[in-house]
Amino acid sequence: MRIDVYVPLVLALLLASVAPAVGRRVSPGLAARVLVTAAALTAAASTWALLLLGATLVDQAPAVIAEAGEEGRILPEPVPETVAVLAVAALAVVGHRVRRVVRAHLATRRVLHRLCEGHPPDSELVVAASPSPQAFAIPGRPGRILVTAAMLSALEPAERRVLLAHERAHLTHRHAVLSTAVALAAAANPLLTPVRDTVAFLLERWADEEAASAVGDRNTTARALARAALVSQRARPGCALHFSEHAVTRRIAALRTAPPPVMRSVGAAVLALGALPALGAADATGDLVQLLAGTLPGW
Amino acid sequence: MAGTGPHGRAERRSAGELESEVLATLWATDDALTPAEIQTEIGGGLAYNTVHTILKRLYDKGLVLRDVDGRRGAYRPAKNAAQLTAEAMHEALDRGPDPIAALQQFVTGLSRQEEEALRDLLGGTGP
Repeated sequence: MRIDVYVPLVLALLLASVAPAVGRRVSPGLAARVLVTAAALTAAASTWALLLLGATLVDQAPAVIAEAGEEGRILPEPVPETVAVLAVAALAVVGHRVRRVVRAHLATRRVLHRLCEGHPPDSELVVAASPSPQAFAIPGRPGRILVTAAMLSALEPAERRVLLAHERAHLTHRHAVLSTAVALAAAANPLLTPVRDTVAFLLERWADEEAASAVGDRNTTARALARAALVSQRARPGCALHFSEHAVTRRIAALRTAPPPVMRSVGAAVLALGALPALGAADATGDLVQLLAGTLPGW
Repeated sequence: MAGTGPHGRAERRSAGELESEVLATLWATDDALTPAEIQTEIGGGLAYNTVHTILKRLYDKGLVLRDVDGRRGAYRPAKNAAQLTAEAMHEALDRGPDPIAALQQFVTGLSRQEEEALRDLLGGTGP
């Protein structure tokens, strides 16, 4: 209890520090999946660890103290009271952050639902007659692809196919679920924020690789990205550099080399890194239950 | 560099994907297009009959208009729903916090150096 309850917090830092390197070297599909899983496990374990730390305050409850006093038992104090109080405060922050992410997510879903109104339900492509170049996937059943007229007319025919294949890959591989999961993990444990950013980049890379194999040409895929980035830049200058993690130039550079290897061993190592905090949390739970059993007779 | 070239893969695409592609082609130009013109534009060994079938399906869904601009057999995309979608999209983009920014967009911002590198990549044929 004394040590393993802190394990999830330390391992979150470790996962955050290896995430970018994993993202650079391993095929994006595998890297994204293992990083999301490890981040979700770590976030769940660290939230649980905070709950355990907070639960140690139970021996401060007047009823428990009174009862222990009557029976002449000495109450254990597994962690300093300050730590326990801080853990409760941290839990409140976590709750607030998670709620904010959930609300933003629901707001986005409502907007996306509205965008599809008036379009036949069985057609994949939803065109917006807009002069602003935009393209994004709209998750759902069925998923849709929204592209503006400006984006379509900026691209060559083969590049339009790349764009459609890219957005389709987001839908078929349920990237929205992965990105929501990692956003929730980062909300619950801010140490995981770098993992969330790496995953956001990897989901784009994953869709790029899928598009390249659907169209059968990595160069055409790279050109589609370059052209789309340039027209978007012309349409809304000044928003540069905010999205360096999604940097389209890094995606283009990756398409101009061979696809990265799958490397299952690295994937397994990342998953193990996610499983460790869960084990630590489970062990700490056992310890706390034992302590409480001593504190609260009748357990 | 891996790849078999962008052509000769039409048979692998599903009907839904081909519908998207034909609709995207019609939206990409200001001109009304005949099935033959669409076939040339898309390439990739798509049969004329296939293009025809897809256009009929898009027409039945109300997504394209036929015999426009006094050209028999020429098609143009229907604009109504697309205009409503554009309005809803701009409304969402203008309102903060931006719900579209949370999405996986196809591309995002560039620095000046990146912009120049991309122009080089496209070799002067840029947009």
